[in-house]
Amino acid sequence: MNSPVYLDHAATTPVDPRVAAAMAGCLTADGVFGNPASSAHAHGEAAFERVEAARAAVAAAVGAEPDEVVFTSGATEADNLAIFGATAHSQPRGRHVITARTEHKAVLDPCRELERRGWQVTYLTPDGHGRVEPDRLAAALRADTVLVSLMHVNNEIGTVQDVAAFAAVCERHRGVRLHVDAAQSIGKTEFDFHACGADLVSLSAHKSYGPKGVGALLVSRRSGVRIEPRQFGGGQERGLRSGTVATHQVVGMAAAFTLVVAERPAEGVRLAALRERLWLGLEAHGGAVRNGAPEGTVPAILNVSFDGVEGESLLAAVAPRISVSTGSACTSASGDPSYVLRALGRDDRLAEASLRFGLGRSTSLDDVEAAIEAVGRALARLRRIGGACATAR
Amino acid sequence: MRYSALTRRYFEAAPCAGTLEGPGILSGAAGSRSLGTWVRFDLRVAGAANRPAVIVEARFLAFGCPHTIAVAAWVAEQAAGHPVSAELPQPVDALRRSFDVPVEKLGRLLVVEDAWRAAAARK
Repeated sequence: MNSPVYLDHAATTPVDPRVAAAMAGCLTADGVFGNPASSAHAHGEAAFERVEAARAAVAAAVGAEPDEVVFTSGATEADNLAIFGATAHSQPRGRHVITARTEHKAVLDPCRELERRGWQVTYLTPDGHGRVEPDRLAAALRADTVLVSLMHVNNEIGTVQDVAAFAAVCERHRGVRLHVDAAQSIGKTEFDFHACGADLVSLSAHKSYGPKGVGALLVSRRSGVRIEPRQFGGGQERGLRSGTVATHQVVGMAAAFTLVVAERPAEGVRLAALRERLWLGLEAHGGAVRNGAPEGTVPAILNVSFDGVEGESLLAAVAPRISVSTGSACTSASGDPSYVLRALGRDDRLAEASLRFGLGRSTSLDDVEAAIEAVGRALARLRRIGGACATAR
Repeated sequence: MRYSALTRRYFEAAPCAGTLEGPGILSGAAGSRSLGTWVRFDLRVAGAANRPAVIVEARFLAFGCPHTIAVAAWVAEQAAGHPVSAELPQPVDALRRSFDVPVEKLGRLLVVEDAWRAAAARK
């Protein structure tokens, strides 16, 4: 039997061979393996230079300055550093934070923790396509609001938010900092740190053909945002993230970002065509509901709910043929209906019976046709076993 | 979610899926699609005077998770040749162990049992 077609690129991507080659040059004795903080000798100096070159490359890929890049272990750590770091610094001015119900758990769980510590958090409800209206953000701002945390590209449905509009709202409300989780953005849509106006931005490498275990927090120099460190022991990364910088990881992230940003225009057009073919094929099976507006989502993500089937069975039925997920890879193990789709107004059954198709560099038209066929077979079988037609509830 | 080989086999093959029609069919259902689990059994029975009714064949329909479908299929497959009884071929707890069903899904097996009992009670 053939391997399942991989259509879960929004969960993670394979490391690009060119990225792996760059990383390999920083691991063994014949490479740049030194500690970048060991400035007293040549090995350390060489590693330092690689790290700084990587920092410059990441900055160039996202429209930032090199000294605005703080390397972390990934977007989750960057989100935690942004939320706890910014609120710790700002708490004399207020203890109110605004986020949205459709954020990743890496933002929502820190916000829940802030609530346990006595902070107040407002959770904005997006519209039916997952968009947060800037007016709703403006209406939620209070005199004691110190931080807004809203994502750029939603990880489950691919909706792209107008971050610049959020930044303009925060700018009018002096003193409110804007954090943006952009873990899904790089290579999937255009992203420019300075142009978007955010104070803090979280990035991940492994969504963009880089390695797992590395990401970054962009800290705006222009805005003068200040954050408190959460990790101590060496003072690396300008004191904001202590710990030896993993040279091979940041080199991998830099190589990956450089490649995906350069390839994005052509790849975006290709993936958009594949995604629309996938949607038309799935829609033809009946009882399919597209989650997210087609014109406002990244080309790499398609999220569809299917009527008349149970979600866990649908996922199990297609798993031998295609690797997809029911939502965020970080929460799909729970078996609960997607909280993102529920926030969009889907009922529990539709929220549960949804599949997220994450298209990527390896995705071909044959893969898309195979996915359409696999889902069609699964739907027909499960609807027959369940004694329901496509629209039965 | 990881499934045992037995669960995968019965989920993928789903033997005895479908319905039975005609006179003398015992049908019973339990659960609710809107709540995520619904099961129905149809039993064709035969019996001579003074002898207990015997199940000739059984069919099932199930809307639910792979464990629900697998267990309902197994129960329907095992039923033929047995007297009509409110008891499942195996108690729910034994089924849970056989199919390696997580304890938090016990309620779904109880829906299978309720559907079976509803069908058997029609005799």
